[in-house]
Amino acid sequence: MQSAYGGRRTSMNIVVLVKQVPDTWAERKLKADDKTLDRASVDVVMNEIDEYAVEEALKLKEAAGGEASVTILTMGPDRAVETIRKALSMGADKAVHLSDEALAGSDAIQTSYAIAKVLDTLEYDLVICGSEATDSRMSVMAALLAERTGKPQLSGARKVTVDGGNVKIERQTDNGYDVVEAPLPAILSVVEKINEPRYPSFKGIMAAKSKPLTTLTTADAGIEADKVGLANAPSQVVEFSNKPPRQAGQIVKDEGDGGAKVADFLASQKII
Amino acid sequence: MYFGLSDDALALREGLREVLSSACTPAVVRSAWDGDPCEPLWKTLGSFGLPGLLVPEDRGGLGLDELSFVAAVEEAGWHGVPGPLVETIVSAPLLDLPLDGSVRIAVARSSGPVPWAAVSTHVLDLRDEPALVDLSSVEVTAVPTVDRSRALGSISESPVGHAGASDRQLRDDHTTALALLELRATLGTAAFLLGLARRQLDLTVAYVKDRQQFGVPVGSFQAVKHPIANAVVDTEFAWPAVLRAAYSLSTNDPAAAMHVSMAKALASDAAYRMSRVCLQAHGAIGYTVEYDLHLFTKRTWALANDWDTAAEHRAAVARALLERTAS
Repeated sequence: MQSAYGGRRTSMNIVVLVKQVPDTWAERKLKADDKTLDRASVDVVMNEIDEYAVEEALKLKEAAGGEASVTILTMGPDRAVETIRKALSMGADKAVHLSDEALAGSDAIQTSYAIAKVLDTLEYDLVICGSEATDSRMSVMAALLAERTGKPQLSGARKVTVDGGNVKIERQTDNGYDVVEAPLPAILSVVEKINEPRYPSFKGIMAAKSKPLTTLTTADAGIEADKVGLANAPSQVVEFSNKPPRQAGQIVKDEGDGGAKVADFLASQKII
Repeated sequence: MYFGLSDDALALREGLREVLSSACTPAVVRSAWDGDPCEPLWKTLGSFGLPGLLVPEDRGGLGLDELSFVAAVEEAGWHGVPGPLVETIVSAPLLDLPLDGSVRIAVARSSGPVPWAAVSTHVLDLRDEPALVDLSSVEVTAVPTVDRSRALGSISESPVGHAGASDRQLRDDHTTALALLELRATLGTAAFLLGLARRQLDLTVAYVKDRQQFGVPVGSFQAVKHPIANAVVDTEFAWPAVLRAAYSLSTNDPAAAMHVSMAKALASDAAYRMSRVCLQAHGAIGYTVEYDLHLFTKRTWALANDWDTAAEHRAAVARALLERTAS
């Protein structure tokens, strides 16, 4: 394969960003004290769209006849190892886990700084992430990383092809799709339409146990501690309130005029 | 002797639970009630590696033992996996068929309709000379039954050639292999039953905590919670018997057959009792087809008598003990 760096290369390095998030169906709450998401009291899962990102990386590897390496990169507490193992059991080759108390409470800007620092220590041709995380829903990581690394951003991909030193995507739009192309290395985000993530196989689960997992602290990655963490976050949650409890519905007794009452109600809500 | 689950068996169960949570929802079990063979689910089971669980690794299987088998099948029971899962797993080591989930093997042991035949691709016919029947070559008529997902089928007379009759393992001396198949199938059915029992328990505990009467959850009444607790004691006591029998099979214990009979007798009774208690604790809603409980209750009724009833297994245990005393 013709490399982005000019010479001939035998293998493509893909990094997939994976985030551990509270279960999509769990009730998510902010903590009263520091106004950050309560991650400890809920079940956690791999961010759903990240499964599609992992799947796409594995597909690209298969398309390259196996001549590629897929690295999972996760920033999160110790517990995030469960999610990393799942990505490895799907078929990724190795993982890097950035885990440090100092990172707790980091916002999107700080997270992109930390992840960009880790990316600097890795060799990569393609960074793939999901289009958004179900907890924070900022949908900006690909853009922030592209800016920080100076690499092209291809966002919202519903189809990806790598050809020589180029990557081409179909970017999902409201009315159809755009074809976007960029030289490698590049930062890519994918949408759910792109594929159907595989389930881990039992052999994959067993193999994942012995795959290389590197754990980095902020110091290991050259991250300056005063640039990350809740206390240094450029954005702050000033105030929040929980969702009001559901009100009891209004019950209308049908005394022959039920239809008219329903119509009145709909009209009062400006629905009809 | 340690007959608990190994780390590998626990990882297998955990991994399977995650897969089945999304691949085998009650909606999927329901679709089997309409005669759907649930091919996507089986494909997923195939890619996970389940059909080849007991097949040696050099033939593309997982090469695991009976303890891993019961751990996986118990979990499958919790999810109510439709189709001949136990039969397919135990038949696979004897046959040279794909392990990718494209093959579903029912087993015929007695005259009359064959369980799962209406949704299977093959029947391993053990009624006289053992033979593998490719169901695409014979006519299968669905036979109505209580658990409709079980897809009983009667097979037309004189099938057009026993497709697998030339199969190496069936042609050669197969007595030992078939005896092992029967023991594994019986044990697997016991494990599946305990999974079904655990699912019914989970549904019921959730229900009786939620359903209020006289201003309190109905689960707070002794008349509700004591029968449930008793049923739990039965299932908890049956599970170690299943593990023991699995261990005995995996270590070629000469008493393995008796241990399997003990396990099936206890599991059949425990799961049946659990299904009765759960149905009662639910009140009338337990009888409705719209609610999920019956998917697991009716399968329990069917499997409690499948691969022989609790009474038959008790008799087998008695015979084995008497033989042992006589010798």
